[in-house]
Formats: sequence, C-alpha cells, structure tokens
Amino acid sequence: MNAEVNAPSAPEKKEFWRWQETAWIDETKDWRKAKILTCGIDVGSVSSQAVLVADGELYGFNSMRTGNNSPDSARNALQGAMDKCGMKLEDIHYVVGTGYGRVNVPFAHKAITEIACHARGANYMGGNKVRTILDMGGQDCKAIHCDDKGKVTNFLMNDKCAAGTGRGMEVISDLMQIPIAELGPRSFDVAEEPEAVSSVCVVFAKSEALALLKAGYTKNKVIAAYCQAMAERVVSLLERIGVEEGFFITGGIAKNPGVVKRIEKLLGIKAIDTKIDSQIAGALGAALFGYTLMQKQGAKA
Amino acid sequence: MSDGLFDQFKNWYEKRHDYARAWKARTGGQVVATMCTYTPEEILLAAGMLPVRVLGAHEPQNVTEPHIFGMFCPFCRDSLAQGLLGRFDYAEGVVLAQSCIQYRQTFGSWRLHVPSVQWDYFIPMPNEVQSPHARKAHYAEVQSFREFIQVLTGKTLTSAMLTEALAVVDENRRLLRELFEYRKATDPQVTGVECLLAALTAQFVDKREHNEQLKKVLAALPMRKLNRPEGIRFMTIGSENDDLAFMNMIESVGGTIVIDDQCSGTRYFWNESKKDDDPIKAIADRYCDRPACPTKDYPLHTRYDHVLGLAKEFNARAAIFLQQKFCDPHEGDYPDLKRYLEENGIPTLFLEFDITNPIGPFRIRVEAFLETLTEDELF
Repeated sequence: MNAEVNAPSAPEKKEFWRWQETAWIDETKDWRKAKILTCGIDVGSVSSQAVLVADGELYGFNSMRTGNNSPDSARNALQGAMDKCGMKLEDIHYVVGTGYGRVNVPFAHKAITEIACHARGANYMGGNKVRTILDMGGQDCKAIHCDDKGKVTNFLMNDKCAAGTGRGMEVISDLMQIPIAELGPRSFDVAEEPEAVSSVCVVFAKSEALALLKAGYTKNKVIAAYCQAMAERVVSLLERIGVEEGFFITGGIAKNPGVVKRIEKLLGIKAIDTKIDSQIAGALGAALFGYTLMQKQGAKA
Repeated sequence: MSDGLFDQFKNWYEKRHDYARAWKARTGGQVVATMCTYTPEEILLAAGMLPVRVLGAHEPQNVTEPHIFGMFCPFCRDSLAQGLLGRFDYAEGVVLAQSCIQYRQTFGSWRLHVPSVQWDYFIPMPNEVQSPHARKAHYAEVQSFREFIQVLTGKTLTSAMLTEALAVVDENRRLLRELFEYRKATDPQVTGVECLLAALTAQFVDKREHNEQLKKVLAALPMRKLNRPEGIRFMTIGSENDDLAFMNMIESVGGTIVIDDQCSGTRYFWNESKKDDDPIKAIADRYCDRPACPTKDYPLHTRYDHVLGLAKEFNARAAIFLQQKFCDPHEGDYPDLKRYLEENGIPTLFLEFDITNPIGPFRIRVEAFLETLTEDELF
C-alpha cells in the first residue's frame, strides 16, 4: 500500500500592502428616524467607499478595496455598510456616484466628480475654514481650492502616472515587507533624515529603493527617503496652485504620518485634524450633495 | 442622432490618405505635404497641385526616436512618424514655412528619411512679422517659392493663375467663417467637432470641392435643429489639435466648443487676403496679417487681445488650453494669456496633450471644471 503523499503546502504569501478595510455605523443614531437618507459611493482606482448620510449628518460608511469591476465594487461597498444597520437600498432616497468609476454605479441617481466631492467632504470633516485640500488617492493626487461652502474654485491634478500616490506606497510596503500602516511611524525611526529618493515613479523608485538597501540603508531609512520624495512631489503640485490657510488632507495617504508630517514641514503649516476617516471624504461629499439635492427637490415639491 | 450633414467632412477626415490617392489618380496632379499653416498653398494650387497638411495619427509609435528628440512636441513626433511609416507615400513634395524650430527639424528629417519625397522646399518666412522689413522679405520668399515651382513643373505661374488660386482659397476662408458664425448663437446649430472637421478637411481636400461641400452645408444650416443641450460654452486654445475623441468627450459631458484659437481651426483661415494687383503681394501679406502663432507674435503680443476678442464675440464662458507637451512657444504664452483671460472674466483649464491622450483622466478634469462653473444647485 502506497503511503499517502502530502503535497507541501505553499507558504502563505503575506500581503504587506493590504490596508485595513473598515466599516462603521453611528450606534447612537437610528436611521429609521431620519427624514432623508442619502448615500455617496466613491469607486476609486484602489479603494471604494460607501457613505450613508442621515438628515445631512454622517451615519455610517464602509471602505474596501476596489474589485475588478466598478458596479460590483459599488454594490459590495454599499452592502457592507447597509448590512451593519439592517438598511436596504430601497430605504435610501438618493445615491450619488463619484470617483473614477462614478458613471458605473448602477443605482446612482447622479454622478459628480471626486474633485467636487472631496471639497464638499473636506468642508464637512474639517469645517468651513478649509480652503486648500490635498487629496492623495490610489493612483492620482489632486490639489483643490474651495470656498467656505466647500465649492471648488480651482484645482490641479498630477500627471498621468501613479508616482507619489497610494499605489506607490503599497508597492514600497510590499518591497520592504512591512505592513503599510507601519510605514509612517517607522519612517521617523532613523538616526538622521535621508535625502528623498530621486524618483517617485513607482517603477524606478522600486529599483532605487533596492539600490539603497544594497548600499547599506536600513529599511526605515529607505522608507523615510520614499516618504520625503512623495511629500516633495505633492508639495510641488500644491505650490503650483498655491496653499491657503485651512489646509486639509483627504485620501488614504492622509493616514500615513510619515508623508503628512513631511508635507506639513515643507509647507510650514499644519493640516487641520479630523476624527473622521480621511479615505471617505469623496463618498461623504457625494452623500452630502445627495442630501442637498433631495432638500431642494422637497422644497420644489 | 446625427442628421449626416457633416458626414462628408468626417469621411474625408477619416480617409484622408485615400482621398489624396484618389485625387492623384483622377487628376494626375502632384500631391504636396505641407507643414505648418503658414505655407502659402495658393502657389501650389495655381500649379495644379494638391496641398495636404501633415497631421498626426494619435497612435503610439516607435520610429521617430533616432531622428528627433523625445522632448520635441507630440505634433512634431507624430508628424514625422506619419512620414516614416509611409502614410504620405503619395506625396511627391514637402514644403515647410518657418514657424517653430522643433517643427523645422521634423521637416528636416522628412527630407532626409522619407523615401517617397522627391522634392522639398523650405520657406524661411520671417518670424518677426511685426518688423517693418518683414513684408518685403516675405514677398521675396513667396516669389522665390513661385519660381521654384515654375522650374519644377516647367510651367509659368501667371498672375492670372495666381489670382484665380487666391480667389479659391479666399472663398474657402470666407465660407469657413460663415460656418463659424453659426456658433455665435445660443444653442448653436453646429457643434465644435463638426466645425473642427470642416476646418481640418479644408487643409487637405481640393479647395474647390471643399467649397462646394461648405456651400451645401451652409444652405442646409438655417433649417437645422440640433436638439442637444448647449451646456457651458467653451473656447479652445493651443497649437494643432485634431484629437476628435477628446473634442467629442467635451461635447458629451455638458459643454459646447464655440470657438478656438488653434492652427487646426481659426488661425488657418480667419483672414482673407487684401485686394492687390500683385497677387504675390496679396498672398505674402495675408500670411503676415493672419492671427499670429506664438512663434510670430513679438515684440508685441497681438494674440492676447485677439483671443479675448474671440472669446467675447462668441460668448465663450470659459477656455481650455490644449497644450502640446514641450511646445515652448505656446507654453511661453500660457501664463500671461491665462492671467489676461481670467482677469477679463474667462476662467481657464490647462490640459497637457501628448500623441495619445488619456480621455478618462481628462474627462475628470473637464467635468470638474464644468462643476466649478455650474454646480450652484449643489449648495
């Protein structure tokens, strides 16, 4: 009788880039008591968020990785939020799609660009003093000026590559084999601040990072050099549009203190703090626009 | 749903090389690749030739790198690629009138490396057209070009032949302006894409045939209803642009392009010649007088008032700069022109064009720009 042969199991592949997907509901509120329920869905290139707004106030959200098609990502993001509070799609009065996949949100009543939505979301999160917004997204970054209502007055986007964006940070995380959430804190654990890597192109930064490791840099020092490069890149974008007081950062990279603190140092101003997850700013703005549109429809009726 | 009124222009544009080959087979005449809209087509027309402007194809290419630098503007590289790829193999000649130094090197490379080219001619048109000596100098250059063509063809280009050719080209300019006039109205009866197709095809279709087609369109236009929302009225500003996918995108997301300052559009045909007994003088002066390309707009910047004037005349609400990457002349004008327009109530958006353009990311920028102009309902 042949002995049973067990195939060696493949070693578990760690995904260091994988950021925390989160869902949250305001347990102190009951959505059933709300007169107007709206939803914003931000289908970005890397992450998707669904935000629920009850009577113009943030009620809950779900943030997850974007799948391989926009409609499914939108559905999954919303389902995750609704499941936490027993809500159904029919309960929601108005849905606004935003982000790169905004036109592919099947149940959206309207699509609005993420530029307008981030400004509106930042206005809610950071208050009406917010004037300059830096949105550091998965594959692009945007510098936005807005007025006291969160209306966009000017904006700039980066060029056509993913350099200096969230995806670039994910690549470095995998390369260094350090969980993405640890990159920021570890970037400060260096004896002296290194020069920025010369390229923040995702491809070339990777080879430069490897070269630095070979040259004897510690991982923390390489991460610090990469964070500095990313900060310098977005600051150059911000300087093209001009930074006004009331500076606010949205998007996933706002959670990385290694980049945020370096941006603040380069600009000489501190970003406005918020307790709300910076990644949901676009979807939150979309949901708030939905609320305003519903209010206006009600006023007309 | 399109009523087909501009289908002929669209068909010409999409099959422009087939058109030139068919013209050649039909007439037995020579086809001449022209570079830059400062080339005096009238001389070629008088000699019975078909001037065909070199345009890009907006496709990725890998043939120009050995010849011109990658930091030359996309139009330079795309134009050279078309020659190297044999797309203009029906053209015996190639002519350039001096404008920018990068395009001059594209021309130089065409002469050397496009095997189908049998003859070439460079017209060293003065860039400082504002100089008191410019007209005299350019007169002499146009005259030299005439003489070159006479030797080449063995035919004398008489004043009568030149006058007739000039009349045909002037008629084309006049008809195009009549067409563009329709864009002034609210809810215009023509779209920006349709007008772009009309202006672009004028640059490679037999002018007499083009004139007849324009007349048909102009006869039908007064009765036309487009039934599309006008949205925001845009002006486009830049050098050459025939990226129809991009222009269609603007007109599909809530905008209408109502006027341009581009050499693929108004700068090509805006002014007719002035009457003169000497047709060479009339032709040469017309090119000195036309709305200036930034390469020919110094020491005074005449463009700024011209561009603002167009924006006001056509009631453009905002302007989009379509900046060819690495185009130094236009990039040099951009900061001041942007400021000038914005000071005069015309908000602007800047987009950087390459051989191929990312329509998705551009769409976000255009839509966000539209929202800054219209989103009051959201607040």
